[in-house]
Amino acid sequence: MLRTGLFLIFLLLSSVFCLEDSTEEFEEHLSIKSLKDGRVAFSFTFKTLLRDAIPRDPRTLAFDNDDSQHYTLFPLTLGQILRQYAITELHLTLNAGKWNYDAWGYPDEPDVGVGAELRAWMAGDSISSIDDRWQGVRNALAGLFCASLGSLDEQRTTSPRSTFPPEGALPDWGLPHELRHASHASEHVCTENLTPFLKLLPCKSRSGLAMLLNPHRIFDADWHGIGLHVIWRPEGVEVRLSVQLVSDPLRVSGQKKQDWSFSSLFDRKVEKACPIAKSSRVSVELPSSGVYRVYPEPPQVKDGIAHYDLKNANEVWDIGTMWPTDFEYPLSKPNPALVPFSVRRNLLGSTQDRGQLSIVLTNNEQDVLQLLYLETMPWIIQFYLHTIRVHADDALRDDLISNISYILPIPHARPATFETVLTLPGQSTITFTMDVAKAFLRYTEHPPDAQRGWDLPPAIFTPLRQSSHNSTNLGKRVYSPSLLVDLATPDFSMPYNVIIFTCSVVAFIFGSVFNVLTRKFIVVRLEPQKRSESSPSKNLDSDESGKPDTSKSNVH
Amino acid sequence: MRLLSLSFSLFTFILLLSLSQSHASSQHTNNWAVLVCSSRYWFNYRHMANALGMYRTVKRLGIPDSNIILMLADDAACNERNSFAGSVYANPGRHLDLFGENIEVDYRGYEVTVENFLRLLTGRLPPSFPRSKRLLTDSSSNIFIYLTGHGGNEFLKFQDNEEVSAHDIADAFHQMYEGGRYNEIFFMVDTCQANSMYSKFYSPGILATGSSVVGENSYSHENDYDIGVAVIDSYTHYVLEYMEKVNKTSRLTMADLFTSYDVPKIGSHPGVRSDLFDRPLGPEHPMNEYGRGRGWTVEGGGEWVGREMEAEKRGRGLREALITDFFGGVVEVDVDGEGESVLQLFEDFECPPVFKEPTPPPIKTYSPPPPAPVSSTSLFDEYPFLRPSLAFVILGALFAFVFSGVISRRS
Repeated sequence: MLRTGLFLIFLLLSSVFCLEDSTEEFEEHLSIKSLKDGRVAFSFTFKTLLRDAIPRDPRTLAFDNDDSQHYTLFPLTLGQILRQYAITELHLTLNAGKWNYDAWGYPDEPDVGVGAELRAWMAGDSISSIDDRWQGVRNALAGLFCASLGSLDEQRTTSPRSTFPPEGALPDWGLPHELRHASHASEHVCTENLTPFLKLLPCKSRSGLAMLLNPHRIFDADWHGIGLHVIWRPEGVEVRLSVQLVSDPLRVSGQKKQDWSFSSLFDRKVEKACPIAKSSRVSVELPSSGVYRVYPEPPQVKDGIAHYDLKNANEVWDIGTMWPTDFEYPLSKPNPALVPFSVRRNLLGSTQDRGQLSIVLTNNEQDVLQLLYLETMPWIIQFYLHTIRVHADDALRDDLISNISYILPIPHARPATFETVLTLPGQSTITFTMDVAKAFLRYTEHPPDAQRGWDLPPAIFTPLRQSSHNSTNLGKRVYSPSLLVDLATPDFSMPYNVIIFTCSVVAFIFGSVFNVLTRKFIVVRLEPQKRSESSPSKNLDSDESGKPDTSKSNVH
Repeated sequence: MRLLSLSFSLFTFILLLSLSQSHASSQHTNNWAVLVCSSRYWFNYRHMANALGMYRTVKRLGIPDSNIILMLADDAACNERNSFAGSVYANPGRHLDLFGENIEVDYRGYEVTVENFLRLLTGRLPPSFPRSKRLLTDSSSNIFIYLTGHGGNEFLKFQDNEEVSAHDIADAFHQMYEGGRYNEIFFMVDTCQANSMYSKFYSPGILATGSSVVGENSYSHENDYDIGVAVIDSYTHYVLEYMEKVNKTSRLTMADLFTSYDVPKIGSHPGVRSDLFDRPLGPEHPMNEYGRGRGWTVEGGGEWVGREMEAEKRGRGLREALITDFFGGVVEVDVDGEGESVLQLFEDFECPPVFKEPTPPPIKTYSPPPPAPVSSTSLFDEYPFLRPSLAFVILGALFAFVFSGVISRRS
């Protein structure tokens, strides 16, 4: 009896411990920063952590018996895509606008390249299996996010060696991991991309911080971007969904004050806390100068950042900042500079068969800066590497460029991958120029709006830092703006013109030859006394004096 | 013996006849919609508004996003020229935002091509295409196909770059028929000379309507001076205005929709083609007058191919074609073949009169939900381990009580 009693007590204890479920966690965080030019930068981060989960080993893809996926908070559609293609790490961003690093500093999420950018780390023992899975994950994400990611085919896919290290850990299966990166700078972002994004959140947009995501205001912002990041950490698989935007309260409100609040910028307030969020926080970075008021009163202010906890919110949250005086636009650049270096990238030249790629880099700091410069140029722009010239203050400096890694473009098949290290002396400006040739496309390769031109993906600059144990660390990435290249377009009406013209000429020649060969011209004598009872047509013929009646000849 | 076999064969013959008759009036079990806007560029805003208006109507009447394929050749809502970001309006007062906050566009931008459209219809897509971009219909699906854009005599322009001809669409529909990919198709097209687009169909089960006869243009309806372009085409505007009267349980027939065409308002002569469609379009009286009322200046009445067959279809006693057969989700599903019992429910339902001037729908203003009542935090929320430990104690006491009772009874 004692043994059965102990067994029952053991059963009860174990059932008690099973009632606590901590395999999935969801956290949300909003970081707000007032920028010097009157704008406000918002960065929403929604993190779902699936504890003790491991990405799928690609060797198990041959067997179809994957573990069944039962999630409560982790999005199932995304989990299915990740496991079907055995993806270890995935980053997808859909951005619109130009991130102004000089005025706004670094963004919270570094991937701010315009358009769609997708990169994935996949393990595999053969290149073909990785490429097949890359195509599969592109199309699956295109269907999930209503974006044309299917067009990120091999003409836009590269594998840069150094610029994109994995953000998380890579499992050690004894298989090499490969990176695939593709970008499409002319991709539009609109509500149809935000709708499935919100459906990946556990609370959707009904409660918590996602209540603020009003598409009419997000897509009106000066810069906006949504991002999906899947990372494997030792704790488990983390899915991080981010929405970043830079709003202009001066434009939205039409007043001269840079006051902003949730209701004025998003037309929404946080009315309900997401009940399953482990933490739901808002951090407002307090401006360092000026007289202002942050409302409601922040319960905690640390290091110049006001923290609000919305987890146990019973009230409606409408966080905002008010200034008593009108806004004065800063007339000088911020000092010290918000970013250590500034980038300007242009395509020079006025012809449609060649041009010059020009990068102007300014080092805002005193120390020498080394930058890793990545260019993933589509094959329509072909580089001439022997024409690379680096000038620092009008003097040719060949020592400022080193470690060139170049993968040749294959026309109609592969873009160019160009990685090099540029050295910037302190407080100087260097100019990197390279001659390029523009391709002449086949008639069928032009997009429907061919006269617009082609968007070129942004170049990526990563500062290199020598750390103490002689290995280089990568700093925060900087994306240059995209370029628009105007390629020679043919006259699209020419095939129609040629067909019409050729057919007309052929018909004319054939018709004339046929007539000459088959028609017989005879002379028809007209009797003068039959004129009174003749047909009207004969009367007409007799008016033309003496001409043979050719219209009657085809009776034969 | 002979009599027995004869009677048996007669019986099977009658049975097959009745079965074939019931097959002709077999109901669909799911609804799909393919809405295509084939024009690009900002000045074709109205074509995107056309397709989005149909999208909203079709969603409101019950077809879910998973069964709608929406193809928009350009981005009007988040276009840099759009002063009202994220919104597409179909009327100058900007009362109703068609884009909304919950929309899924399946094919957008450069993906809207003739090849993709025909592959979508015939189902010949590469295996890499995701599920949301496929037309997963079966032989009991009713499909509503709506095309809008610039067109002409037997062609429709895609993205100002290529054309699809009426022959191509007719062949695609026949491939769908051969493959059992539809039960019935309702084909609506709003372009210039739209009636020529359905003139080449040859597969059974297709009902078609267009906005203008051959040689005639279709016109836009209204401009908005803040958006800066025309916001809706007039044929689609009047069709959508009529559809606002229809709800999920409505018994309005296709005849009601077609006889609501008002030529002086629309500005062109719409047409109907029902010779390939084997069900009657509606009650006798209104449809007889189709094309013969005021404004129909075309010789011989409005274009209706299949007018002569209408009486014969009615004579066969088949079910009339309802608007909700194509525009909405399935409300009554005939599982055991006894559809009559469900129809009994609608005996006393009064259909609205057909010739009444449609009243504009009331403008719905969104009022935010009232704030949730303040809930007090209970003890269980503050100490999360309290609930399981309390359960353990109570269950343990119960078991101990039961066991002690059992033990004492035994001993």
